[in-house]
Amino acid sequence: MVFNLFNKEKERPTAATADDRLSLVLSYQRSDIDERKLKKFQGRLIELCDEFGYDVVGEVEIRPQSRSRDNTTVLNASIPVRLRGNQEEKSTDS
Amino acid sequence: MKQKSVAITVTSGKGGVGKSTTVASVGLALARLGRRVCVMDTDIGLRKLDLMLGLENRIVYDLVDVIEGTSKLRQSLVSHKEYNNLALLPAAQTRYKEEVSPAQVKHLVDELRNEFEFILIDSPAGIEGGFRNAIAPADRAILVVNPEIPSVRDSDRVIGLLESANLDQIDLVVNRVQPGMVKDGDMLSVERVQNHLAINLLGIVPEDRRIIRSSNTGEPVVLDDKSMAGRAFNNIARRINGEEVPFLELEESSLINRIKRIFHIA
Repeated sequence: MVFNLFNKEKERPTAATADDRLSLVLSYQRSDIDERKLKKFQGRLIELCDEFGYDVVGEVEIRPQSRSRDNTTVLNASIPVRLRGNQEEKSTDS
Repeated sequence: MKQKSVAITVTSGKGGVGKSTTVASVGLALARLGRRVCVMDTDIGLRKLDLMLGLENRIVYDLVDVIEGTSKLRQSLVSHKEYNNLALLPAAQTRYKEEVSPAQVKHLVDELRNEFEFILIDSPAGIEGGFRNAIAPADRAILVVNPEIPSVRDSDRVIGLLESANLDQIDLVVNRVQPGMVKDGDMLSVERVQNHLAINLLGIVPEDRRIIRSSNTGEPVVLDDKSMAGRAFNNIARRINGEEVPFLELEESSLINRIKRIFHIA
């Protein structure tokens, strides 16, 4: 800080922000994903969880990520679930 | 033995990234290496290559005239003032891109192959008809990109279109790189751009004030020994010509820049 005569704070490099944004926009573009498609996809995932006996207990998040080594997109889905049987057991217990 | 002719389309998607500068500079550099080169402007209605090469006053006929049969191909070619192994096939300035088809441009380039070893095709911005005309005859493509998000995103889209047109060899030129900004973390590095696009790196061209001067005078920067961009374009031409040339060291190392960085004012 001795040399920082102009008291200029070090901010996060904007190139790093650009890099993150670029990963996201490229993955959306490569997989031709829009918000409507993602919503529909979320709905189907919830149906699928239901079919396999899981209750979705929070927000389903789908985050596309760009994988540069082979120019593909990886869809990361985060689905908070609870096994229906267990929940019933718990509620029965309580 | 007659050398095989290669048609290279220089494209980008986004406008203003330096396609025409690249075509004019690399074309002239290849001619200075002794190759027979034709630079072809397919940006019908918005031609630029004539200005970049200082040949705007020599144009009589153009690409559309040849396609329509108003002139012969040889009549439309404009030779460079100093290097007569470099010729320009200009675009028409008062016509529309839709007036020519990809098949017609391909036929025209096939004729040029008899005369020239390298045919560099300057593609218009965008991904519509003009772009399709420019890529139809290509054996390979050079993608010019600036290290910023809109340019990289458009380039990624163009790579998809080139691949679906069965163009397998696509090389990357990262233009207008500012090493000081990269070092300070305010510009995407060439490495990051290349990682995102995942294609072969052909050249790195630094931002250079001399580029503007060169377009003002109609003398490409490859003729300017003091220009770093000129050296970078010369190196690109040598790589296209089959030589192995290391990439330029672009790091700014002046004393003033180092002092600025120490005090966080750069």
